[in-house]
Amino acid sequence: MVKTKKGLLVLAVAMATALAGCSGNSGNSGNAGSNGGAAAPEASANAGAGEKAAPAKDPVTFTYFNAGAQVPNIESNKTKIGKLLEEQTGVNFNLQYPVGDVNTKIGTMIASGNYPDVLSPDTAIDKVLDAKAFIPLNELIEKHAPNIQRVYGPYMNLMKAEDGNIYFLPFSPVVGEYISNPTIEQGAFFIQRRVLKEAGYPKIKTLDEYFDLIDKYKANHSGDKLTGFTSLIYDWRTMGIFNPPMHLAGYPNDGDVIVDMTSHEAKTYSNTDNTKNWLKKLNEVNSKGLYDESSFVNNYDQYLAKISSGNVLGFFDYGWQVNQALQNIKKTGNDDLDYMPLPIVFSGVEKDQYLDPPSFVNNRGVGITTSAKDPVRIIEFFDNMLKEENQVLIQWGVKGEEYEVDDKGRFYRTPEQIEMLKDNKTQESIGFSYFNYSWPMYGGGSTLADGNSFNAGRQPEVAQASFTEGDKLILEKYGAKTFSDLFAKPDERPWYPAWSISLEQGSPAQIFTQKSKDLKLKYFSKLVLAKPEQFDGIWDEYLKEFNKLDVKAYEETMTKEVAAKIAKTQGN
Amino acid sequence: MRSQETAAVPSAPSAEPGKVGRWFRTLSKQKALVLMSVPFVIWIFIFKYVPLWGWTIAFQHYRPNLGMFEQEWVGLEQFRFLFSDDSFLRVLRNTLAMAVIKLVLGFVTAIALAILLNEVRIAFFKRAVQTISYLPHFISWVVAANIISTALSIDGGIVNELLMWLGIIDRPIMWLGVGHYFWGILGASEVWKDVGWNTIVYLAAMTMIDPSQYEAAEIDGANRMQRIQHITLPGLKPVIIILLIMNLGNILETGFEPQYLMGNGMNADYSENLEIFVLKYGISMGNFSLATAAGIFKTVVSFILLFGANSLAKRLGEQRLF
Repeated sequence: MVKTKKGLLVLAVAMATALAGCSGNSGNSGNAGSNGGAAAPEASANAGAGEKAAPAKDPVTFTYFNAGAQVPNIESNKTKIGKLLEEQTGVNFNLQYPVGDVNTKIGTMIASGNYPDVLSPDTAIDKVLDAKAFIPLNELIEKHAPNIQRVYGPYMNLMKAEDGNIYFLPFSPVVGEYISNPTIEQGAFFIQRRVLKEAGYPKIKTLDEYFDLIDKYKANHSGDKLTGFTSLIYDWRTMGIFNPPMHLAGYPNDGDVIVDMTSHEAKTYSNTDNTKNWLKKLNEVNSKGLYDESSFVNNYDQYLAKISSGNVLGFFDYGWQVNQALQNIKKTGNDDLDYMPLPIVFSGVEKDQYLDPPSFVNNRGVGITTSAKDPVRIIEFFDNMLKEENQVLIQWGVKGEEYEVDDKGRFYRTPEQIEMLKDNKTQESIGFSYFNYSWPMYGGGSTLADGNSFNAGRQPEVAQASFTEGDKLILEKYGAKTFSDLFAKPDERPWYPAWSISLEQGSPAQIFTQKSKDLKLKYFSKLVLAKPEQFDGIWDEYLKEFNKLDVKAYEETMTKEVAAKIAKTQGN
Repeated sequence: MRSQETAAVPSAPSAEPGKVGRWFRTLSKQKALVLMSVPFVIWIFIFKYVPLWGWTIAFQHYRPNLGMFEQEWVGLEQFRFLFSDDSFLRVLRNTLAMAVIKLVLGFVTAIALAILLNEVRIAFFKRAVQTISYLPHFISWVVAANIISTALSIDGGIVNELLMWLGIIDRPIMWLGVGHYFWGILGASEVWKDVGWNTIVYLAAMTMIDPSQYEAAEIDGANRMQRIQHITLPGLKPVIIILLIMNLGNILETGFEPQYLMGNGMNADYSENLEIFVLKYGISMGNFSLATAAGIFKTVVSFILLFGANSLAKRLGEQRLF
């Protein structure tokens, strides 16, 4: 009797020590949790092992600042997915999202040296790396994360910084066969379906044809207070007016440069005829009263509200950026107001290249910061997320609730489920909005071991079922099965995307990017809103100012980096 | 501050044994005052003097992850970049112009409103006007900027609608899209937001004016305008001058939020001030050294202006700050 009591006491003390080990910032909480054996991490690591294999650990809450999304802050265990993950690991996240300028927020973090435990700095990642705010993950991955090794293994070379360390986990490691997206998440010229309908669904390819259609429709409905064409130009979201020249010339989104297919030379296009022709067209369109002048003063919210109103006939944007507004329109159920994405090019350009080539974006990702209290717990949580069943949970939801499986093992969603998931609030309460990106994950387009698509949206069964009647009709008119069928297949570009190349802090190339952005913002509005006869004069003035900047340093740096990336990818 | 000096004077003649002794005698007499000021001196020291250590950053190529002694020292390079940048002069011009507009408009409107309120005899009306004019002060700039840009919008903004209805303009004007309107819009917004709040100190000063002066003036046959001109305004003069000196010291602090929130590519030539410049090239690009250098520049200018204004006031025989 006494012996047992003593034994219990010893056990209690051991437990207490173990718990203390977990909540403290010692590096071996994994061992402590399983009371002295290294069994726990391995047990939890085996993909497919039952979720109850690892003993539940004491609850802990970490903070995660994610600069890559704009959703309300939340405790992750308030969402359905977050709750399930907490049950498996005992880890809860306090998820925080930016309000306002990301660079400022991250700059303040760096200046103070106080970081959240986990950080996804999005566009500010170079600054975070420069400040050495991320801890190296190599050893953690090796010791505690077999799933991370499985998923990221083929990409380890591309993830390594110059010093050979891995500081963050990118979001795009494709697992299995690559499935391209049936809907357009990337850039396109959008046009309202009623415009196409009234014109009898013509096949249009060039910028002139595109604006002619809008012009005609607006002329026929002059009483309706319609906006012909609008752009988003706010804060860092300047792609709406900066990027089209690149796409119109038949190139994918390489940021500020066009990379030559054979010489691999990176050249800025802001001072070329491509940009001139684009702005000249906008200028012409504006003089006809088709362009929305307030584009230059609207903020992101005002822009989304404008598109959601259904009074805008056309715009250029990236699907991911305008998606909220498009969902709002879908909710009205009025198919005429919905949009059709089109691969518009300059006349004379043979092939569009709007679709992203399969690529590994190695300058966006999530890392563990130097302020993190317990990196091992975090890396174990990440590893647990990468188990295939959890990837299914995060992308598809819970079987029988957010998706179904047919007798052949194929995943699908019922029309009711699809309808339910169209609502942003539902997406948030289930946790899709919080978990399906900006975490260690299979890259978009991955395939699961059983052959199902990793992204629910890319599963043909779901894509077909989630098309509205209007979608099906318009696709039929254009002889396509999916929206991406209308776009040309992407050519292989091993450096892609060049926008993910990071520039050294304070280097001439980096100062060039800020200065040229300021200059473009200033002149593009002038060029578009000027009287047509003044256009050429202002353009020459702009060119003069632009060429005063250190264009050469920028182009040389970019060309060098493109070459380096090609070497890294191919030497893999 | 003056009253303390004068209070100290009478104790001086009684002290014989040299300056030091006198100093201690005064100190012991005023120990209550000294003790009361100690926390504030400490506060000022910690929050205003200790951070001056950080000025060293301006002379480095500062990296946050390195220690003090591992930093690379670059001398005046940051200042050179700041002053040689093409846009610096423009930014400085904008800063000064907006500051002057803010200063002048802020003073004139606040004093005018305070005098008007002072003359109002119906208490209810006076209270109502005060409350309404204070309210915008409590709205954050983020909200205020949205209200303003919506009011000025070309798609049904109230300003354009009103002007069109009155027939003053025939098509909507993109107010925030025309650079040289920006200063005016900013000035008007600042007045709308802060005029009520700024009157408080003047209204308080007016209650200090001896009512018998007004009565005497009335008996002498002075009308309302004459009473304002010869009694109210001279009574306010000391307050006005002190506030002016203090505001001149802050002239380069034109604020950041309104310019940032209402600025865009089209009005950048007029809306970009020093703060925004520092944000773009300093903080956003991770160049903390440049941001610090700009901060030093601002402090030096403020210092000169403050002392200049103070000595001018002294020479003119007016009330002054120190």
